[in-house]
Amino acid sequence: MKHPSEEHDLIRWIDGEMNETERTAFEEHLKHDAALATEAQKMRALSDSLRAHMPAEMHVPHADYFNTQIGVRITQMALDEARSKQSAGLGGVLQWLRQPWFALAGAAALGVLGFFLLTPETGDASESMILSSYTPNTNVQARTYHDHNADATVLMLDGLDAVPAERKISGINIQRSELEPELASTTMYNAQGAAVFMISRDALGNPMISAR
Amino acid sequence: MKIVLPALFLISCTALACAQDLEAPPPIITSVKHATDGHVWGALIFATNDATKLTGTNEEAHADLPKLNERLAKVFPFKHFEILGQHRQDIFREYESWVVPSRDLFMKIDSKGPADSGGVNLHLQVWRQHQVLVKSDAILRKDSPLFIGGPPWKEGRLIFVLFLESK
Repeated sequence: MKHPSEEHDLIRWIDGEMNETERTAFEEHLKHDAALATEAQKMRALSDSLRAHMPAEMHVPHADYFNTQIGVRITQMALDEARSKQSAGLGGVLQWLRQPWFALAGAAALGVLGFFLLTPETGDASESMILSSYTPNTNVQARTYHDHNADATVLMLDGLDAVPAERKISGINIQRSELEPELASTTMYNAQGAAVFMISRDALGNPMISAR
Repeated sequence: MKIVLPALFLISCTALACAQDLEAPPPIITSVKHATDGHVWGALIFATNDATKLTGTNEEAHADLPKLNERLAKVFPFKHFEILGQHRQDIFREYESWVVPSRDLFMKIDSKGPADSGGVNLHLQVWRQHQVLVKSDAILRKDSPLFIGGPPWKEGRLIFVLFLESK
């Protein structure tokens, strides 16, 4: 095992950094230390070989060589950062796709798309349409559809209480009406021009039909 | 003086006449034409399979609504259809309109303006005396009636028909 000072002297000897006195003393020492002499020869051979294959001077390409290298390095760092972000973004998307709710959302989106694609066209411009219906009595259901055989739009009210059979329902034939906005009432006239009744609203807003 | 007195008399008469004009009530306009968005024909129809239950009215359907009974029979499972009452009504643009073919079942209409592709946008309310049965937003178009299946009556059914006239 070499002593550190011997190794240091060996390197200085190989590199030719010793003065005459030092080199003579070191070479005298090598004559008495066979192991150190062997290693010194190997290192000298390796050093000579390296010197033989490397130029003595490195040519600097141009005056701004170092600035250019710094610029190149900065650019490389920026590119690396951008790539890492892109990679992270792609990873984020992939992670987002792996979320369990994404499958549900996708299914819902497909359902909505399917609804619009598969729902038959109901917006025929020649047909009457029921856009919405509301029955205040929750026992009553409103169904609506267009019957092509009858060429009519149907609003079917199911669940209504029957009108008592003994009740006499009499119809009216109204051909004309006159609106009286000041009184918030409308007077109805029959085919003979006679006033039949007047309709207005009571204090609760319910329709009130009164004879004329 | 002879000139001044007649002049004062004339001025007094003129002032009195003007005062009477100011105090006079405004003329009564009995037939104001209100803006409309269309005209409808509404009818209350009794549908039954038992001819003996018919009331015997002789009301005729709207001339622009041919084969009404046949068309009703394609929707409602009854053999006989009888118009109990009918009503032709303007759809007032600014005010509510009532279609009352019977005091028992009638309709309130609020216009929501002309529809983009023809017809008129309406808010409908079907009333049974003081009870509203249904509220609907609808587009009513010409030659396309609306059949509303109402309450049962005498083993049959009451039907409300609403039709946009071409008038």
